[in-house]
Parts: sequence; structure tokens; C-alpha cells
Amino acid sequence: MIAPCVQPYAELCVTSNFTFLTGASHPEELVTRAAELGLAAIAITDRNSVAGVVRAFSALKELARLRDEASATTEAAQDGPTIRSQHVTDHSSRQTVPHFTGRTAAPAPQDAPLPKLIAGARLVLTDSAVEWLALPTDLAAWSRLTRLLSLGKRRAAKGECHLNRGDVAEWGTGLILIALPPDPLDDAQPLNTRADLQSLARLFPGQCFLGAAPLYDGRDQNRIDQLAILAQGLNLPMVALGDVLMHRSARRPLADVLTCLRVGCTIDNIGEQRLANGERRLKTGAEMARLFHRHPAAIRRTLEIADRCAFRLDDLRYQYPDEAQDGEPAQDRLERLAREGLRWRYPAGPPPKIVHRVEKELSLIREVDYAPYFLTVHDIVQFARAQGILCQGRGSAANSVVCYLLGITEVPPESITLIFERFISKERGEPPDIDVDFEHERREEVIQWIYDRYGRERAGLTATVIHFRSRAAIREVGKVMGLSQDVIARLSGQIWGWSSAAPGEERLRDAGLSVEDRRVQLAVQLIGEIIGFPRHLSQHVGGFVITNGRLDELCPIENAAMEDRTVIEWDKDDIDALGLLKVDILALGMLTCIRKAFGLLADHRGQRLTLANVPPEDPPVYDMLCRADAIGVFQVESRAQLNFLPRMRPRKFYDLVCEVAIVRPGPIQGGMVHPFINRRMGREKVEDLGPAMMEVLGRTYGVPLFQEQAMQIAVVAAGFSPAEADRLRRSLATFKRMGTIGSFRDRFVSGMLERGYDADFAARCFAQIEGFGSYGFPESHAASFARLVYISAWLKCHHQAVFTCALLNSQPMGFYAPAQLVRDARDHGVEVRPVSVNHSIWDCTLEPRTDGGLALRLGFRQIKGLREEDAAWIAAARGNGYPDVESLWRRAGVHPSALERLAEADSFANLGLSRRDALWSAKALTAPAPLPLFGADGEGGTEPAVDLPQMTLGQEMIEDYLSLRLSLRAHPIELLRASLPESMAHDRLSQASGRVTVTGLVITRQRPGTASGVIFLTLEDETGTANVVVWKKVYETFRKAVIAGRLIQVTGRIERDGPVTHLIAEQVEDVSHLLATLGRPVMIEANDGRADETKRPVGGSIRSTARHPREQARKLFPSRDFH
Amino acid sequence: MADISGVPHLFGGENALRDDLKARLERAGLHVTSAIAGTRGAAHALARHGGGIIPDGRLAEGIGPLPISALRVDHDTTEALSRVGLVRIADLIALPRAPLARRFGPGLILRLDQALGAQSEPVAAEPDAPHFGVRMTLPEPIGLQADVMAGLERLLDRLCDKLFATHRGARRLRLELHRVDHVAAQIEIGLARPMRDPVRIAALFAKGVEGVESGFGIEAMRLSAPLTEPLPPEQIGDGPTVGHEDVLADLLSSVGNRIGFDRVLRLLPATSLIPERSFLLAPAAYSEPEPLVHYSGAKRPITLFPPEPVTAASGTPPASFRWRRMRFTTLRAAGPERITPEWWFDDPAWRSGLRDYWRIETREGPRLWLFVTPQTTAGLALPATARAQNWYVQGEFA
Repeated sequence: MIAPCVQPYAELCVTSNFTFLTGASHPEELVTRAAELGLAAIAITDRNSVAGVVRAFSALKELARLRDEASATTEAAQDGPTIRSQHVTDHSSRQTVPHFTGRTAAPAPQDAPLPKLIAGARLVLTDSAVEWLALPTDLAAWSRLTRLLSLGKRRAAKGECHLNRGDVAEWGTGLILIALPPDPLDDAQPLNTRADLQSLARLFPGQCFLGAAPLYDGRDQNRIDQLAILAQGLNLPMVALGDVLMHRSARRPLADVLTCLRVGCTIDNIGEQRLANGERRLKTGAEMARLFHRHPAAIRRTLEIADRCAFRLDDLRYQYPDEAQDGEPAQDRLERLAREGLRWRYPAGPPPKIVHRVEKELSLIREVDYAPYFLTVHDIVQFARAQGILCQGRGSAANSVVCYLLGITEVPPESITLIFERFISKERGEPPDIDVDFEHERREEVIQWIYDRYGRERAGLTATVIHFRSRAAIREVGKVMGLSQDVIARLSGQIWGWSSAAPGEERLRDAGLSVEDRRVQLAVQLIGEIIGFPRHLSQHVGGFVITNGRLDELCPIENAAMEDRTVIEWDKDDIDALGLLKVDILALGMLTCIRKAFGLLADHRGQRLTLANVPPEDPPVYDMLCRADAIGVFQVESRAQLNFLPRMRPRKFYDLVCEVAIVRPGPIQGGMVHPFINRRMGREKVEDLGPAMMEVLGRTYGVPLFQEQAMQIAVVAAGFSPAEADRLRRSLATFKRMGTIGSFRDRFVSGMLERGYDADFAARCFAQIEGFGSYGFPESHAASFARLVYISAWLKCHHQAVFTCALLNSQPMGFYAPAQLVRDARDHGVEVRPVSVNHSIWDCTLEPRTDGGLALRLGFRQIKGLREEDAAWIAAARGNGYPDVESLWRRAGVHPSALERLAEADSFANLGLSRRDALWSAKALTAPAPLPLFGADGEGGTEPAVDLPQMTLGQEMIEDYLSLRLSLRAHPIELLRASLPESMAHDRLSQASGRVTVTGLVITRQRPGTASGVIFLTLEDETGTANVVVWKKVYETFRKAVIAGRLIQVTGRIERDGPVTHLIAEQVEDVSHLLATLGRPVMIEANDGRADETKRPVGGSIRSTARHPREQARKLFPSRDFH
Repeated sequence: MADISGVPHLFGGENALRDDLKARLERAGLHVTSAIAGTRGAAHALARHGGGIIPDGRLAEGIGPLPISALRVDHDTTEALSRVGLVRIADLIALPRAPLARRFGPGLILRLDQALGAQSEPVAAEPDAPHFGVRMTLPEPIGLQADVMAGLERLLDRLCDKLFATHRGARRLRLELHRVDHVAAQIEIGLARPMRDPVRIAALFAKGVEGVESGFGIEAMRLSAPLTEPLPPEQIGDGPTVGHEDVLADLLSSVGNRIGFDRVLRLLPATSLIPERSFLLAPAAYSEPEPLVHYSGAKRPITLFPPEPVTAASGTPPASFRWRRMRFTTLRAAGPERITPEWWFDDPAWRSGLRDYWRIETREGPRLWLFVTPQTTAGLALPATARAQNWYVQGEFA
């Protein structure tokens, strides 16, 4: 280890990896290293950005916590004895460091005080070669800095920032400005540099400094002397800087790779742009003092500056909008609305329990002063209601009667357990959290309304940091390291979905790479290192931060890639760490579908429904769900849920709440599924865990399913304080990054053991909390979802045609492709009519049948490549119908290419024109618009009639799939059945036993992260579907067929689990080539492009982009793949 | 593609001709498919789909079963036709032509007509490649050097005209001198750039002509340019008639002709921070000069050699040391410049790891570029003498 250095020093120029593709260390690593080196302070100064400072801030807090813990319990000091073999000598820094493992090890606590964190930015100007480090001295200065950055960012496109000298002059008050002039030994325009320096120095006397950073190029003494002369001449005191790019010199290769990515070259062509040495790392004060031994004042000044920078990120006083209206204070308004709510929610008078609870909640809200927050959500929901946009709230703070009374949630508080402590608590000091789901097609209206109401300076979306994941890392690093395109494609093509691991040895061998090759080893190591690096900022799905004052005085605002959106620089964890409130405005496809279904019901059946008045607890609906007949139903349509439904046998609303919550990472990782089912079916006794636990766990048979239950266990059974328990869950991400999760686990498990719980149960509870860390699922949340499950199931049960129509019109959403939805509807006896130019409009519609039922008419939206505008023209100009192709062209004025699309979709069939005849006529119309001369009264004349060859059924079906992605004529397997004598029809599987063979189109492909590499396939043939389970070993053998097959043949054993039949695959064969025999020889390729997880495109350049449109259409018979 | 009108009977009919061709090519190791048909289009189509012979007047039947793609139409058209169910050429022949042309353009009809012989498409032979060689037979044998040079000038004029006509310049020229006694002498010169200026080329021949033994006299001269390169015509304007580059090229030519072109080298910049890889050496005649990019780092020595160890070095930087059996005392030292190896490239010379370079002015005069590899001894308790082994000299400043 490094000896504690005596020389104090503050590093004021540190570039973290939030200067994308430049910095080579995470802010967390930098802070940890600075603490190890005993620096007095560290400033994070990213290029025109403060995106990384909150991470550094959180890391520092975590270090402080560790140290407190260490000083409290002396045993923690045992982190200590370093194992020598795990340490290697780092050549460039000549220091012994722990062997690099890709993650910073938990730092050993030291006695030295932790470094102070200075949040700053490095201002790179467009009109000057001089760069400035801006370090705010106080809160006002920070606000000016963020406004300055916002100004530059709002001017430029996403990810850029255009600032000039004038801006800095305008906003620089209160900032410490350290100039980073071009190298004085190599400055082409020294006079300009001087002028730039002088102009700011005059404006802000006493605030400006001149930075000097050693480069280790043999001229440092000379350079520093020159800078000292310059400093003297301009009266700018000189400050020592490290110009740090990485926390250790071992990151030099990665820094070079990032440089390559930035400039777009390979490592062999990087030339002089590489780092000559690893000296741009954090250094100790002693080392800096040695470099600046002739200028000791430059070192001393770093400390003076660090002392002057009194701003800390927790000084950010965040003011929520007061939401007072017409002179009515927020709290009064909230209470008035709640009272009104009691009246309309409970026309017969509220039960006393509810009244009592409301009083309790309101007084708590008053104490913590969160009334405005609830009012904001209320106002947003009100707006949406007024616009007829369906919405529904969820989240921890939505877990309250107040939200029900305000109309934010629709779940009656009587139907679920509301744990008051989970609502909001003073001691936890956590901001309340309400998410509101809106229809996905109309969410933008809500977002724009929020911008309008609060203004761009007061409202902004939170950011999401896009990290390098396996696929991107392999692609980008592979390219830089000179691996060939096909090798990269093979390496990354084998990755299922979004993984975060570097390719293992086996993968390398599979891709035909030698593991011994040095290049390959380097590449793999770098891929491992770069995974987790931020790459760019993107917008969060809908988290809004709203402030009373200006938001851009809190943090910089920039333009998003999407038009009319502005985004702040911090992500949701950062906001959490700083205690900022956010309102989540989320999009939910099912709400769109339900709204459309309600609309159709009102039109065709005169039934006016809302989310609140769908007939509750309808037995046929539960009967249907028990049969696992749930395709299209919200949440429970997934493969896992379909298997789970017959075992769960839901009979009442609360069963649906459990159903929704149980198939989630939390309960699955915690192994809670089987105990729950066993106890529910009465196969296992509910053990009594004591009254404290049973109050929380009673309704779920003593098994924790929901997030608040797991938290409650941490409090009641493991002896955590509520604040600790909550911080544990919220900060899981930070703990994992810092590698400090282990100590929590030990405390949790030992706490439960002490109180007499089973060790296994304790371990499972902790695993569940870890699962909740990535995706928390509280009870109210589940209840909100369960309502949508019930409503969509009710629609499906009683109005299948309406439901399917609404689902098709809300695509893309849900789990199944239109082909499966249509098939399901037909299985339920709904007549589905084909697309027709004389009947269809853009959306799918319902047509009355002579028997009083409703038939589903497919809309033009199903036709691939047809534009909505064309469809509108066709419908508008239809009149009494089009007699031929040409009349449609003349009257609707659509482009001939749209006519071809229509012809290919066989939508002229009801004019008596076959697909080919229609296409033949469409081909004749080549002009974009009709010419007057050759009209009906013109000189066109009639063409000789042409007889085109007829299509076979197989060809027709293939064409249907090509154009519509579904066919009403036949199922492909039906036509292939004769050539598959050994395959069993799927509807006979339920009676079969032993070993069987089935063949089918792959409709879904799933590899749940929780199922240790097991893959679930759903196959479809003309009779039904089959569930195939592929164990890891079989998958390894038949990898390609499993991942890429469209039509596959599976041989295996039948296994029954209650009413569910599985086929355990033993052999998998890709027989997609058979599909080609159906029509003309088209190759069927595995791609959907929408939900296919196995085939994410590997960089545009690898797949040839110059594909013929018809070849594009070969993406037939799509499957939806999830993981 | 060959026009065999009037030829088959010489081989005993079309079948025999085709068999003969096939046998000959097979002997040369080529396996081919060939077709004979009345039109170029039909032969093209059939040769790519099995081959054979279409008898006269039966073109339509002959190519009818072939796919439309055989007609030399683009992929889009073929695809579009197959969309309406038209896959074979026979399908097209049967259809009325006006609707077909309206939908798929005149190109398709043209190709169909060409294949069916309704549209002519003659086969023409390709022109020969230009030949760069001139000769002169003398009425009387000559023996004087001046006479040979005069003859050469006339030949050069003619050759350069030929080169000019095809926009080419010679890179290599060969002069053959045929003596009366049937002995031939050869003079071959190379040129650093493609050239067709007779005067400047003649100058380069002078030395070679000097060495030729004329014997009883020379009766014929032949000049050829076996190697030529494109040389577009240049604009003639003000300024010197022979440009700066031309002068350098002439110098390179004359030096190259004496010592060999692969020995005249040019330094080219290379982008690497490793000193010995920061430049490239390339044969001057076969490379273009590149401007030196602006170099902003520390000064580099004018001569660079493989590292030579220094003995008896003391201190960092060494106050005194011995190199090449000479003793040096340091007067001034600047450094260190730290250079690390290129981590992605395993260079044997750099296996010892990073180097700290120092620029050392010695009291004795030479200014040397020394480096030390500090990490090899760091941490080891070695005597000072062993430590001193780490110093090397790699270059000398001017």
C-alpha cells in the first residue's frame, strides 16, 4: 500500500468517463483512488458537463459510510491483509496495485480524512483555444454554471454544447476559473491566447488562475517555467493540475481504445494520438510536489482553491412548485380535494376506517410538506381525464387512500393491505414516488402539456445513461482491435439479448478465434473493461423533474434527440441521491387498447364503460383465466404466466394481484413461487411467523411477494431500521458498483438467524430484495396492474371481436404478433374479414353480421409499407366503391407504389381481381399522378387483356405473410403436413405420452434471466400451440436451430405439470427450408426486427444494407423473442 | 463471345466445333459450358443455363423454358415479373408486347427482341493494345557515339509521339543496337517518374551508349518501352521549362541507374510515438514524397541508432558515464520524456517496458539522447553498478 503522504494536494482537473469516449475511469473509481492516495480534494470536471458529479458524490457518501462502519466495528479493519499474489506491479506508475479485476475493490478504510469533492466542469469554448475549469464557490455560482451550460446545450444539437467567451464573461461570477491554455512551447497564436486570458482575468479579478499540468514529455520544467512567466505577466496565479484521465495508469490501453472510437480509427492507425505514457493518472501530493518543486506555491494554491469551493451537492435546495391555486395554499387545496373525493368515491358515506386513515395521511403530508407533489400528479391526471386519455397511477406514494380520493389510482383501498409506514415517512426522508401510466399513443400530449404549464426552464425529463453492453462492446472494441467483421458478427451474434459479460473462452473458440492469441486476449480484456462505461445520455422513459424556481439553476438542461423534448443531465439514481422529486409519466400500450375497446363498445353496443365501472368479480372471466385462455390479456399473456394460471386458479381480484406480482425477478430469485403455490393449493401448511410478520404476510400465505413485504421483513426480522432497509433497496446499484453488497448480506442473514429464522429463508429473502433492486413491485403497483388484467380479461371474455380489434389497432404492444392475435380471435369464433379497398380504413374495424354478431375487418395498417395518409385518402374518396385499380388511382390520388402494396396484400380481391391481376393493373400506372389527356374521355384506348398464371394456395399464403404478416387462408404447417409424417399435431399433445415429435413455427422464444439458461419456445401449427422447454445442455448442442430456426422440429418427452403439458426437447432440428417449398423459392430468415432478441443487427455495415425490398420481405413468420 | 458465321463447316459442323472447343479448353484445365445460337442474347442465356445448341429458326423454343433472369435484365425487373407470375421467357413471348413495355419499360422488350433476333446486335472484335516500340535500319553502319545518339534522338521522337497519343509515359526503356556481325548490345534504363520528354530521356542514355562496343558498326537500332504508366498531358505555361520535381526525378533516375533504384531511399513520416518507428524508408522511385506533419513534441536527435549500453553511469540523470570507450561528463540534462511501448504491438526491442529519455549535453561536446528503463531495477536492492546498466544511448543531436 502507499504510505500516507505528508504533502497535501487537491486535484482540480479530472476527466471522468462522463466525458464520453475520452475519460477512462468511472467517477466512483476516481473518488476511491483519491481517498486511497489521501488527496485533500478532487474536482470532477467533465467537458461541458456535470453528468458524472452525482455519481462521484454518491461514491464519496458510500466511502464515508464504510469508514464510519469501520470505526464503529473494529473488525471491519480486517478487510486489510493484502494478498500479495493478487497484486501486481503496475509498470507505468511503479506502484503495487491490486490485480485488476474489472471492478474496484472495496477500499480499505484509512484514518486520513476523505477527500472533498468539488463539482465542476471543463468549459471548452468554440471561439477560443483556451479551455477553462469552472469550479463553483457557492450555490449561486453553481446555478450560474448550470445556466451557462444549459445555454450552450440548448443552442446546439443533442450531446453538444456551444459556448463562447462572451457567455463565460456573462455567467462567470463566483466561479473559480482555471485557464488551460494551449501548450506554451507549441502555441501557434500566443498573442490570441494572451488576449483571451487577459480579458477574463480582468473581468474576474481574484477568481482566475492559470493551470499548469505536467506532460512528462521531457520538457516539463521548461513548460512550467514558461507558464510561470505567463502567469506573472498576466497576474494570474499558477496552479498545479494533473489533467487526470484515469484513476490508474493500467487504464491506458482503454484510454487509447476510447480515442480510437472517438476519432474512428483502428488501434494500428492510432499513431501519435495515443497516450505516450500513463502519467495522466491520479498522483499523490508528494509526487506532484516533486514535479512542481520549483513552484511550491502552485501546489499550495490547489488547497486554497479547494477551500474556497464551499459548494457541496447536498447544498442544492430543491424547491418543489407550490401548486397553490387562486390564493388557496397547497395543503388546503389537497384537503378540500380529498374531502370531495370522499363524497364521490363513497356516495353512501365512507367507512370510518377510511376516514381515519385519510386524516392520518393528510397530517403526515402536512408535516413533510408534500402536498404540492400530490397536487401536481392530480393536475396531470385531471388534464388527461379532460382530454379523454386513460391513465392510472402506481408507485409507493400511490399506495394511499389520498391518491384514491384524488382519482390518481383506481384500486379501492379496501381491497389491498395498505401499510402506513410504506406510504411516506419522515425519518426515511425519501421523496414520494408516483408513476402514472398513460395511453402510449397519447402520452406526448401530456408531456407537452407539462412543458407548457411549467415552462422549459422549470420542467425537464431525466436522463438515462446508455452504457456499453456486451454487444456494443464487442462490436466497437473488436473493430478497434482489428478483428474482422465476420468474427465480430459471430462473437456478438451469439449473445442473447442484452448481456453484460465479456465473451468467455468457449465463445471465442466457437467464433474461430485462438484464445492464445495476444490480440484476442487484449481485446477480450478490453471488452470486459469497457462494459459498463457510459456511452451517451438518452432520455428517461418519462421521469419529469419539476421545480418552483428555475430547473436550469439546479442542473444543466439539454436538447433530446426527439423533437420538442428537453432533458437534464442526471439520471434517476442521481436525482434520488440528491433528493429531487420526479413524476413518472409512463406509456402503457394496454391503456390505449382499453380506450379503443371502450370506444368500439360504445359505437357498436351502446355500452359506456370506464376503468371504474367494468362489472367486477365476474365468474366467467375467472373461468377463462383458469383455462389459461389469455392471449392478449394484459401481463398474464406471457408464456410463464400462461403456465402459471392453471396452477394459480385465480378466483377473485386479489388472486390477480398476486398473480401479477409473483412472476417477477424478485420473488423468482427469492424462490418464493413454489412455496406460494403449494400453500395456496393446500399442499403445504402456512407456518406462523409471529404476529408482526403475519400482519404483513397474512394475505399471501406467509410468503413475501411484494416489495414492501420484503422490506418489512428486513425491519421486523433482520433488525434493520426502516431507513436502512429502504436505503439498501434504493442504493443497490451503487453498492454493486462499489462492491460493498456483501457486508449487507451478512448483516441481513445474521440478523434473521439471531431472531430464530431459517437460514435458507433468510438467504432467499435477501435474494428477493436484490431482485427488487432492479425492478421493484409494491402491492399497490400490482393492484393497479391487476385491474388492467381484469378489465382486459373481461373484454376478451365478453367481447372477443372488440378486444382483438382494439389490440390490433394499438400495435405494437404486448407479447404476440398480429398473426397470433387474429388466430386466437378466429379460434374463439370471430369472423375475420380480409383487407379490402372497398371496406377497410386505416384501423381495423368491426362490421355487423347478419346474425347480430360482429366481424373483424382488417385495416390498411396491417399492410406493410402502406402510409396512414394514403389509407385516409382511399377511405375518403371511396364513395360507392372502386370498380377497378385505375379508378382508385384516379380518385384517391395515391402513388402507384401504394397501389402495388395494396395489390400485394390482395385487397382488390372483392373486385374480382386476383393478386396478380391487380398487380398487373397497378404496374401499368407509373406516373405519380393521373394525366388529364388519357382519362376516361381521353385517348388512352383499351389494352389487350392478359392472362396471368394462377397462384397456388401455398403461394397465396406466402404472399399473405409477406405483405400482411398473417394469412386468413391457411396455416403453413397445414400445407406441409403431408411431408411431416412423423410430427404430431399440437392439439393431440395433451393426450400423448412418452417421446413424440412436433413441428411448428416458433412464435415466442424466451430465456428468463432467472431460469439459469433454460429456453422456452412456443411452437404453433394449424391445430394449436406447443410448449417446448430446452435445457441448457440441449441448447448448447442445437444452439443454432434454437436461436435462429423459424420452423423447427422438436423431438422430446412429454411432461405434465397439472393441466400444463410441456415437451422437454431432446433433439431440435431447423426445418425452415421446408417453408421455401410452399411458394416461390424465398429464403426464410430469422428476423422480426421488433421483438427478436437473438438477432439484433450487428452494426449496419456488417449486414449488407443494399438489400432488395423483396428480400427484406423474407422476414417471414416472425417470432417474438424475449429474455 | 465469338461470331462463328461461316466457320462451323471447317470443323465439321456446329457440334464438332463445340466439342473441339471444349476438348481444347479441357486440355488447358478449364471446364466450360458453351452455347451456340442464332443471336447473341440467346447464346448468352443458354450458356448460363446448361449450354447447348439452338438450331436456326427455333430460338423461341430454345430459350423459352429458361428463367427471365437469363435475358440480361436487372434483378428488379425479374423480381417484379415473378410477382405477377411471369417466371420463364416463354411466359413473356406469349404476352402482348404493349402492356409489357408499359409496365416494365422498353429495356425488357429490347432484351427479349435481341434474344429472339428481332433486334440486331453485332459482335465486334476488341482493338489491340498499343505497342511501344520503334526501330530504324541504317543504310550505312555507324560507329560514332554521336551518331548513335542522333539515331536515338530520332527514335525517341517517334516513341514519345506514340506515348503522347495514348497519354502514357515510360518507366523503363530498352535500346537494342544490332551490329553488322549479328551481335546485339542492349542498354536499359529506368526512370524515376513516367516520362516522355525525348531530350531528358536521351541524356540518361548517354552513359550507357558510351560503354557500347560498336565493333564493325551498328546497322540497326530498336527502342522499346516495356513498362509504361499513365501520364496525362500537362499544361504548358510560364515558369521554368523543367520543374523542381522534374529535376529531382532526373537526379533520382541518374543515381538510380548507377547504383540501382532500390538503393535510392526516401524518408517518409510515420505516425508513432516510438522513436524508431516514427519514420519509414521507402525506395524513392516508387514512392511519392509526403509533407512532414507538424511535429510538436520534444526534439528528436538527427541520428538514431539501435540502443547502445552505457557503462559507469551515476545518478539520474547520470552525472558522468562511459560510452563507446569514451568518458563523458554531463553539462546539461533535459527530461525525462516518458515513452511507453505500444501495448497492442509486441515489439521485441521494447519488451523491457517504458523508457525515460533524457537529452544530455556533455562537457566533451556530443549531445546525446540517453534513456533509462527504471522499472527493471525498481524495487530490487541492487548495487549501484548494476543499476547503471540500465542506461543506453539511442541517438545523437546535431
